[in-house]
Amino acid sequence: MNEAKSIHERKHVWRDEILLIVGLLLFVGVVYAVNNSLQPVFTPTTLLLTGVFLAIVPAAIWLVFFYLQDRAEPEPKGFVLGVFALGGILAAAVGIPVVDDLFRVSHWLRSDTTTTIVGGILVIGFTQEFLKYAAVRYSIYNSDEFDEPTDGVVYATAAGLGYATMLNIQFVVSNGGVDLGAGIIRIAVVALAQAAFSGITGYFLGRAKFESEQIWWMPLGITLAATFNGVFNWLQGIVTRPTLSLSGATSNAWMGLALAAVVAFVTTGVILVLVRRNLKSLQAGK
Amino acid sequence: MANKQVSLGDRFAEITVVALTVIALIAGWLYKSSIENASLAFNAEGVSAQAPKGWLQVEPAGNEILHTVDIKSTGFGATYVIQKIPTTQEASAAEVSSRLSLNYAQNLLAFRMLDQREVTVYGREAYEISYVFVESNPDLTHDQLPSVVRGTDYVFLNGDHAVVVTFQTDEKNYDLDMGRFLVFLRSLSF
Repeated sequence: MNEAKSIHERKHVWRDEILLIVGLLLFVGVVYAVNNSLQPVFTPTTLLLTGVFLAIVPAAIWLVFFYLQDRAEPEPKGFVLGVFALGGILAAAVGIPVVDDLFRVSHWLRSDTTTTIVGGILVIGFTQEFLKYAAVRYSIYNSDEFDEPTDGVVYATAAGLGYATMLNIQFVVSNGGVDLGAGIIRIAVVALAQAAFSGITGYFLGRAKFESEQIWWMPLGITLAATFNGVFNWLQGIVTRPTLSLSGATSNAWMGLALAAVVAFVTTGVILVLVRRNLKSLQAGK
Repeated sequence: MANKQVSLGDRFAEITVVALTVIALIAGWLYKSSIENASLAFNAEGVSAQAPKGWLQVEPAGNEILHTVDIKSTGFGATYVIQKIPTTQEASAAEVSSRLSLNYAQNLLAFRMLDQREVTVYGREAYEISYVFVESNPDLTHDQLPSVVRGTDYVFLNGDHAVVVTFQTDEKNYDLDMGRFLVFLRSLSF
């Protein structure tokens, strides 16, 4: 691996991650409130267009925060947008067809708990995390612009949000639109989860470039991200399981959003601590 | 983006990640196959088979001795049916097939016969009919357009009766579901 080249920290990255989580929660709250108070009526076309627009909003929130704060040593806008687009393209061209059409996970994944976890990790986790890794590794990674360990988190988050945006657009299009209540929560959950798992891959990518890590380092990162991905999908299925009672069924979509927000906060916090500890040791050894 | 020289360590790490992903996906495929091919022994009226595990067992009607449906399928759920139909000693498989086709034409919406031929199924003489129809069962809980269903029946003559094995599934899933059905067909004995 390459020798250490940089010991800087792009501090606003963490603020961006936190603002993304808070921004998404606010976004869901606003859409939910507007939907409940105005109860808009849509034609099929406007419902579809509204859904596609809402699917793009999570990535837009992060990109806006990122560019507003990335002034000290700005990343080239084209590169961040390019990696974001690459994440989306890989999702549409490879990830979604592999998971949905080749492996047809909807047919067998929810058979039992073990299958949900093992299948979720091996098929969904590895497919998604490898493609997000590839979006960074085979584009910006060898560039001069990838010049700080935290750039791994920045670009992997961009790839993850690109992937999430495409997953959400596919969800909206295949359903002919999205319910502004439960649908908007799903969009936020997917964005939060993909951003969180990408952060893990990004941390490993950042260290892989700037330190002499062992050969197992990057495989360990992908495996960890894939494992979190699979376990999260299983937990998501449990907490959002509808509650049945004599008065009818109650949706627990909000629980899913809460879980995704907690996972995103905790992941960001852990990565922040690890990056800071790593930078300190690099500075001490400089 | 200006590329730099990639170190040998980087290259090995990159190959390891790709290899790990391929291994994970192969393991995932094997795991998927083990789940999908999991089966339960079925035995009734001298006919036995390995029926898919986890499928909905529908109460057999008429000549049916097995009627099982994959409720996790998208669209029209993959369905396997085994019928034991009384025949005369002189009846040919083609005649039984004609009766089946006539029955389908009377009961199924937009029924079309695609092909019919004599085949050998795992060493056993049979008559195969392939057809298509439109799902027509009223279902108030189903908010999608009716599915186009493809079906294939195998008619085996066995003394004074015919064993008819039916496979029906959504036209979109037909090729993908066929492999699983062939495993079921191979397990059939009577």
